[in-house]
Amino acid sequence: MAVSATTAGTGATRKTNHDRMPMIVASLLVGVPLLLFIVYPLAFILGRSFSTPEGFGFDNYLSMLTTSRFQGILYNSFEVTLVSTAFAVIMAYAFAYAVQRTLMPGKNVLRIVALIPLFAPSLVQAQGLVLLFGRNGLINRTFGTDIDIYGYWGIVISMVLYVFPYAFLILSTALAVTDSRLYESAKMLGAGPWRTFRTVTLPSTKYGLAASVFVCFTLVITDFGNPMVIGANYNVLATEVYNQVIGQANFERGTVIGMVLLVPAAVAAILEKYISRRQYSLVSDQSRPLVIVPDRVRDLAFAGISAFIALMILSIVAVVIFASFVHLWPYNMTMSLRHYAFDVQNGIEPLWNSIYISLMAAGLGVVVVTASAYVIEKFKSPVTRPLYFLSILPAAVPGMVLGLGYILAFNNPSNPVYLIYGTLIIIAIANVYYYHAQGFLIASTSMKQISGTFDEASATLGGTRVQTLRKVTLPLIAPTLIGVAVFFFMRSMVTLSAVIFLITPQTQVAAVSVLLLEDRGATNQAAAFSVCIMATVVGFLLLVRLLLRLAGIKNVSLIR
Amino acid sequence: MSLRIREVVKRFGNLTALDGVSLDIDAGEFVCFLGPSGCGKTTLLRVVAGLEQADGGEVLLDDRDLIAVPARLRNFGVVFQSYSLFPNMTAARNVAYGLECRRWPKNRIAERVDEMLRVVELADQAQKYPPQMSGGQQQRIALARALAPDPSLLLLDEPLSALDAKVREDLRLEIRALQQRLGITTIMVTHDQEEALTMADRIVVMRSGRIEQVGSAHELYQKPETRFVAEFIGRMNVLPVEGGAEALHFAGHPLHLQRTTKDRTPAVLGLRPEEIRLSSSGGTEAPNRIPVRVRQSIFLGNITHVVLEVSDNAQPLVAEVHAGDDQPVTEGTMLQAELPANALRVLEWR
Repeated sequence: MAVSATTAGTGATRKTNHDRMPMIVASLLVGVPLLLFIVYPLAFILGRSFSTPEGFGFDNYLSMLTTSRFQGILYNSFEVTLVSTAFAVIMAYAFAYAVQRTLMPGKNVLRIVALIPLFAPSLVQAQGLVLLFGRNGLINRTFGTDIDIYGYWGIVISMVLYVFPYAFLILSTALAVTDSRLYESAKMLGAGPWRTFRTVTLPSTKYGLAASVFVCFTLVITDFGNPMVIGANYNVLATEVYNQVIGQANFERGTVIGMVLLVPAAVAAILEKYISRRQYSLVSDQSRPLVIVPDRVRDLAFAGISAFIALMILSIVAVVIFASFVHLWPYNMTMSLRHYAFDVQNGIEPLWNSIYISLMAAGLGVVVVTASAYVIEKFKSPVTRPLYFLSILPAAVPGMVLGLGYILAFNNPSNPVYLIYGTLIIIAIANVYYYHAQGFLIASTSMKQISGTFDEASATLGGTRVQTLRKVTLPLIAPTLIGVAVFFFMRSMVTLSAVIFLITPQTQVAAVSVLLLEDRGATNQAAAFSVCIMATVVGFLLLVRLLLRLAGIKNVSLIR
Repeated sequence: MSLRIREVVKRFGNLTALDGVSLDIDAGEFVCFLGPSGCGKTTLLRVVAGLEQADGGEVLLDDRDLIAVPARLRNFGVVFQSYSLFPNMTAARNVAYGLECRRWPKNRIAERVDEMLRVVELADQAQKYPPQMSGGQQQRIALARALAPDPSLLLLDEPLSALDAKVREDLRLEIRALQQRLGITTIMVTHDQEEALTMADRIVVMRSGRIEQVGSAHELYQKPETRFVAEFIGRMNVLPVEGGAEALHFAGHPLHLQRTTKDRTPAVLGLRPEEIRLSSSGGTEAPNRIPVRVRQSIFLGNITHVVLEVSDNAQPLVAEVHAGDDQPVTEGTMLQAELPANALRVLEWR
C-alpha cells in the first residue's frame, strides 16, 4: 500500500517537471493577450455602464431603458433584424440549393456573384440602394417616380444583401454533403419531390439552417454602416451607440446601449456554437454522392430565382462603380475620372492605411489564432476550456462594443497599451481580436484533422514539440493558414464597426471614409472609395490565387 | 536489450486498463501481445513507448527505470497501425526524420537513409510521397523510419491490420526475417492469433488488463491454462463435466483423464477438434467412446468440420477430419467419437 502510493506519487511529480513549464509559458503567451484585448476592454464597458455621478448603480440603465425613445429603438432593431434574417436565409437557401442540387446553367459565375458583397465595404448595399432608389437615384430621376427608400425598407433590403453571402456559405456547405442512398430510398418508397425535400433535404440541413439564422441575426443587429446611410429617422441600437458616443459624447449611454446590444448578439452566438457542436456527421464512408439528374423545369426555375438575386447584388455594385466615374451625380452624368484624384481631406491616405492595417491584421492574425489553436489542441490542462472560451468569445461581441471598450480601456496614459493608442497598430489588433473566433475555428479545425499519430510518431522518433510543430504540423496546415490570412485581410479591409471608434484624423481608414463622404453628400467620392476597396480585395485574392498556383498548392478555400 | 515490466497499472477514469502487469522480455526476443480489443495490449505497448504515463509500476530497460524518460528520449522505434508517415515529406525524408532530430551530420543521414530503404527494398520509391505509395509500401517505409536511428527496442502497434490479406502475409515474414537479422528486441501488438503464432518467439495473451498466459505458440496451443486462452488460440471443444474426480461424466457418458489429482475436481474439459477420432457405430464399448449423431458436415477443402450431436441438451462437439482420412460423413449418420484421455485438458476446476 505504502509502496504503491510512493510510486504513483513520484510518477506524478516527474510528469509535472516534464510538462508543466512549457504548458504554463504557452498558456500565458496565448491567454494574456486574449484577456488584455478582449476581456479587459469589455470589463471597462461594463464598469462604465454602471458608473453614475453618485457611484455605482443601475441609474444609467433605468434612465435609459424606461424612455419611450429607447424602447422604440429596441423594437426597431428587433423588427429589422428578424425580418432581414428571415429574407436573407430563405433567399440564401434557395440560392445554395440551386448551386448544389440543380443543374442550372451558369453555376460557377452565380456562385462568385453571391460572394461579391464580402469584397465590399459593409455599407456598400445602402450606398448602392440610395444611388438606385434614393431621392436623386437613378430610378426616381429617370422615371419621375417618387419611391422613398429611406428608413425601414431601405435598411431591410441592404441588410438582406449584406448578410446574404454569409448565409449562402454556410448553407452551401450544408447542402454540399449528402448521401444518395437516402434519396433513392425516398424515391423507392414513393415520395414526390416536395415530400422528399421536407423529409430528407430539410432535416439534413437543419443545423446549417439554424447556424445561418444566428449568424445573420448577429450580423444584422450589430451592423451600423447600412442604417447610418439609409436609415434616415429610423434608428436602431447600433446607430444609437454611434450617436450617443460620437454625436453627444455620452459614453455612459453608449456603454448601456452597447451592453443591451451585447445580450442578443451573445445569445445568438452561444446558440450557434451549441447547435454546431451538436451537428453530427450525416455522411459515413459508405455514403455515395448524390448524382443530380437533369430536370428542365426545376433547373430553369432555380436559374431564374438565382439570376434575380445575382442581379440585385450586381446592380448595387454596378451602380456604385458607375457613380464613381460620373462627373457629378445626378446632375452631370458624363464620364469622368476626377473622383479618383481624391482631392478630399486626407486624399488617398485612408486607402493606404486600410491596406497597411489589413496586412498587419493578416500577419498578426495568423500568428495569434494559430498559437491559440495550437495551445488549446496540444496542451491539455485545466486552463484549456477557459482559453477556448476566450478564443470564441469575440464571436458574441459586437464590433462597436469592442471598439468602445478599447477607447475606455486604452485611451489612458497610465496603460502601457496607450503607447500604440491612436496608431494603425491598435486598429489592426482590434481587427485581429474582433475576428479571432472565426480565424481560430478555421485553424483549430484544420489542426484537429491532422492525425494525432503524427505527434506520437514524431515523439518516438526523438522529435521535440518545437521540431514537430516546425517540420510536421505547420507544413500540413500551411494552406489553411493562407486562407486565414486572406480572411483577416478581407474583413479588415471592409469592416466599419470594430474600427469606427478607434480612428483618428491621422489613422482614417477607407471604409470609414466611405461613410463620412456619404454623410457629407460627397456621393461620387464615396463611390470611388468603395470601388478602390473592392478592387484591393479582389486584387489581393487574385494575387494569392496566382501565388498558390505557382507554388502548386491546390484546394485552398480563400473566401470564408 | 532486455525489458522488464513490473506491476504496471494504468487507469482511464474508472476503467482499469492495466491491472498490475509484470513481464520479462529477453534481448533479441520477438514478443506478441495478443488479445481481444479492450484487453489492454495497446495500452501496455504505449506505456512501454512512453506515449502513456503509467499510474504505478516500473518499466526497466537493462535495469534502467524508464518511467521518468519521455517518449522522445527512450530511443524506441514505433510502427503505428497506419497513416503515420508524415504526408508532407517524401519516403526518404520520413526515414531521415529521426536522424535529423538527433542532429546527425547530413552525409551520414543520406547514407543511413539509402541503407534503410535498401533493407526494406524500396530504394526506388525514395522520392515518392506517402499518398503515392501502396499501404504495404507505406508500412515498410514506416518500419525503415523506426529502425533508422538504431533503436534499442522495436514496438509494432498492429502494423499489418490495415493491409490486404496477401500483403499482410508477405510482410509478416519480412518483418520477422528482418527482426532476426538485426537481433532487435521487438514487441508487437495484435488481435490476430495467426499473426502472433507465425511471428512471435513468445506470445502474451491478455484479457481485461491482465496477462492470462505467456508462452510459445506450441505451449499456448497444447497446454492452455485457462478456458480463455484455449478458446482464443485455435478452436477448442468445451466439455462441462459432472461427478467426482474418479468418475467424471460428460452428458451422461463416463470420461477418463490421463492424470487426476485428489484435491481438485475438474469442472470443464477442453479438447481440440483434430483430436476427436470418429469411427462407425456399433463397435465395442471402449473408454472415452461416446455415440454421436452427425448434425452437419462442413467441407473446407483440405479439412472437413463435422458437427456432432451428443445429446439433445449438450453443446455439440466439432471434429476436424482431414481430406482422404475417411469416406465423407453424411448428415444424420450415427458414429462413435473417441475423446482420447491424453488429449483432454482441464480448463476449469470446481
